[in-house]
Amino acid sequence: MKQRITFIQRVDAGFDPQQAVLTASSLSVRGLDAAREDRITVGLDELPEEFRAVLEQSHELHLRWASERSFDAVPPFSSRVSPGLHVHYTPLESESSSEALCTLLRTVVAPTKDAQYKDCLKQEVFYDYSIPFEGTTWICSACVRSDPETAIQDSFITPPLRSTQFASASLQYYTYLPSIQSLVSRADGPECHTRADALLSADSVDIDYDSVSRALTVSGLWTSPPTGGWTDQFRKPASAADQIEFGLLGADAGLEPEEIKMGGLLAVVGLDEKLKPTMFSFPSRHQSLPEPSTYAVSFASPTGLHPTMSISMPQSSLKRPPAPSDTTCALHTYLTLPSTIFGDQYQLATTDPLFLESHNLVALRALAGEMDLEAPDWVVQRWGSNWLLELSTPRETEDATTTPDPSNWTATIPLHLRYLPPSETGHRTAHIPWPVVFWACTAEDDTNMGVNPFDRTNLGWDSLFHPRTLFYQLQPAGDRLVEEVDVPVLRLEGGDGYFQGKHIELGTCVFISLGFMWVLWRLACVAWSSGVGNKRTKGVHDKKE
Amino acid sequence: MALFDSPARVFLAATALRLVLLVYGGWQDAHSAVKYTDIDYMVFTDAARYVAKGESPYARDTYRYTPLLAWILVPTAWEGAAPWSTLSFAFGKVLFALSDVLAGWLVVQLLVRCYRFPVERALRYVAAVWLWNPMVANISTRGSSEGVLGVLVAALLWATLTKKPILAGLILGLAVHFKIYPFIYGISILWWWDAERDGSATADTALLSQALGFFTPSRVKFTVAALASFVALNLVMYLQYGQPFLHHTFFHHLTRIDHRHNFSPYSTLLYLSAAGGAETRFEALAFLPQLILVVVALPLVLAKKSLTTAMLAQTFTFVTFNKVCTSQYFLWYLILLPFYLPSSSLIRKPTLGISAAILWIAGQALWLHQGYNLEFLGLSSFVPGLFLAGLFFFAVNVWILGIIVRDGGDGGDITVAEK
Repeated sequence: MKQRITFIQRVDAGFDPQQAVLTASSLSVRGLDAAREDRITVGLDELPEEFRAVLEQSHELHLRWASERSFDAVPPFSSRVSPGLHVHYTPLESESSSEALCTLLRTVVAPTKDAQYKDCLKQEVFYDYSIPFEGTTWICSACVRSDPETAIQDSFITPPLRSTQFASASLQYYTYLPSIQSLVSRADGPECHTRADALLSADSVDIDYDSVSRALTVSGLWTSPPTGGWTDQFRKPASAADQIEFGLLGADAGLEPEEIKMGGLLAVVGLDEKLKPTMFSFPSRHQSLPEPSTYAVSFASPTGLHPTMSISMPQSSLKRPPAPSDTTCALHTYLTLPSTIFGDQYQLATTDPLFLESHNLVALRALAGEMDLEAPDWVVQRWGSNWLLELSTPRETEDATTTPDPSNWTATIPLHLRYLPPSETGHRTAHIPWPVVFWACTAEDDTNMGVNPFDRTNLGWDSLFHPRTLFYQLQPAGDRLVEEVDVPVLRLEGGDGYFQGKHIELGTCVFISLGFMWVLWRLACVAWSSGVGNKRTKGVHDKKE
Repeated sequence: MALFDSPARVFLAATALRLVLLVYGGWQDAHSAVKYTDIDYMVFTDAARYVAKGESPYARDTYRYTPLLAWILVPTAWEGAAPWSTLSFAFGKVLFALSDVLAGWLVVQLLVRCYRFPVERALRYVAAVWLWNPMVANISTRGSSEGVLGVLVAALLWATLTKKPILAGLILGLAVHFKIYPFIYGISILWWWDAERDGSATADTALLSQALGFFTPSRVKFTVAALASFVALNLVMYLQYGQPFLHHTFFHHLTRIDHRHNFSPYSTLLYLSAAGGAETRFEALAFLPQLILVVVALPLVLAKKSLTTAMLAQTFTFVTFNKVCTSQYFLWYLILLPFYLPSSSLIRKPTLGISAAILWIAGQALWLHQGYNLEFLGLSSFVPGLFLAGLFFFAVNVWILGIIVRDGGDGGDITVAEK
């Protein structure tokens, strides 16, 4: 097991040498004001059986989880994904591995009581059905338990790939997941437990495995310290095979626009006698913008059945990032939409300039997943869809520097809700994670991004660009990065309530029957008085029926 | 009114109305993000583009029509310089608008020739209901293919009433291939077309000869021609596009869930049962009242008295009792109204006619209000709002249907001229 503990201090954060003390057997930090990343690499043999079974059947597995709390991304950890759990998965053999991963995913996701998610093996939809119905299980009739060999392809989606160099996962799954409690509670042993519990407060968690290294890497990122700063002690590992690397670093812009420069202190606990000063720089695909740019996501009220997502950004912050001049930069947003809400691919893929201009869109660049325009949510098997849209930016004016425009620039994306199952209140909530918004600047040259020790890939959207693309994230500004959209549904009450399914059934049945009989009665009257034959020859051709 | 003296004036005005709407539609499409052109037209033209490239029209999602439609619209896929491409794009709309006018012309011909209407009276009814009806002109110039159905039904009637069984059969086969529902007309026409209608009435009352007498040459020709054109068209399409053709054109309509809110009285129940909340499967029997009336009872009782009224009642019943009903379905019976209205009690008794119109519009308004609350305000108006509005609209339609049936029994003053 290898651990790497990295503290990243802001330029303006204070540091006293007494705050990090290295001895022969341990390293202690006290009151450290810094962001922190813990990265633990574990060999396949060291893992509990439950995980090993899944991983042994995987070619690649990448989990990305981000908190729905707002957090500042600090370089070099400036990349983002939408809040929730993203799974990128490539099975070793196409058939064998679905069941184990699905079982694991179920344990991760299922305990959240009111989660609406697509289970990956059984095709039932796990709504919180609180309405008691005699003899009726609220599992939709259209859902069939599919055969395990094909099941995983049913709820996962296959995203298109622009570049297979740094993202090769072939299946993708997403679910809204406010806490990873149920994942960390699977950890084994006291040491593991402490580490895992700490992850509960993390802003983002990455889990990576590939069959080449046969090692599992778990990374947790905390972008701000707990109250009073980080106070922790890292002991020299008991086994010689284990290792703890420690770094206390600051990040700054490098000499080249695509570079990040880092400097600070490094040590391997138990091996080094003192903290070693260091300074290094490397090209990084994820960059931060020199002036913080923010965006906010909202849905215009009332949302109805066709909510429009608005992404607002202060105009002043929409300046081209400081990417090399030979790169082409464009503002993008990457939407992760659960199956409850969807875009109309034909509406959004239009090239009509009037439509695009009215929404401040440039074009739909990529889309993947569930595209059905008509299906209700309970027959949709896949988790949802992803959309990469290029956004337009305000035309740069000459005097932009003298009078910064305080108004907002808003891009809007028309979306549609699926029908959800009935509920007791007549409403259900769709949880829609905020999309990520970023500049993508594509370079022609061959910068090798792989040497970055903090590189992060398999984010879903990164693979849709050329591998030599620099990304500049905008910062989401909001308390909670998940929007709750109210979905009107059929209102059904249990017990003695007025709104009951059987009343609808009975009412419809009675009306149709009465209507049917009324028309028959009228026909009978006609037949009685003038028969069924030709009117003018009535009486001559009285046919017996 | 002098205006109705001249067919040329009426048809020119109808054509001008459509031309104005076409030009206006082109202008709105070019200048507004909200398009005049119907979303279905984009589906047709996308499919036509696939066909032009030699691919299947079903490569376009939600293309649920016969490939014939995409074939006809291939000119819309022709690329060209700016003014030319606008014109080629509008080709389908022009075709649909011309179909409208042609359908109107056929109805006028029938009223004058077979129903012995004075030209002026025929023109007045057809103009009011169809030719000058802004809804009809709007739907076809927005690019909805329903107008094509109008001309097919009018042509079917024309061939039938002028006693051309083979032509009538061929048209029926084509119409059913185009959109399934016109099959109901086949039954009325078959029942209507007895030996007496062919002018060879027999006075034989023996049961056997009566049964044999059912198979008149006209009925046999009509049936064989209808089956031949229907089977031939489907065979050609199946050989060309295989299973997707069958699935999207026919099976889709049998297997779709229709859980979304619409005018049908079944819509709330279908939502409930599709989501797994219904205890009975009453909706599985929904085809029974609909088909018993449309296929058996209405043709049997009404067809021989007044073919067009029987067909109108069939269409009205089909739409009213259908599991799904959207506003385009109302266009289906509009083309048959000019035959019925002149003799109907809705016109003879203005109070009745106005009450029916007010109630029908009220039913629509109530439903649309609830639909607006749901769709745009996000209010949960499924129950009781949409549910009761749907049932009320159904009740109004059934009441009007009762009036049509009674009028059909009376036969009215419309009589088909003997040849």
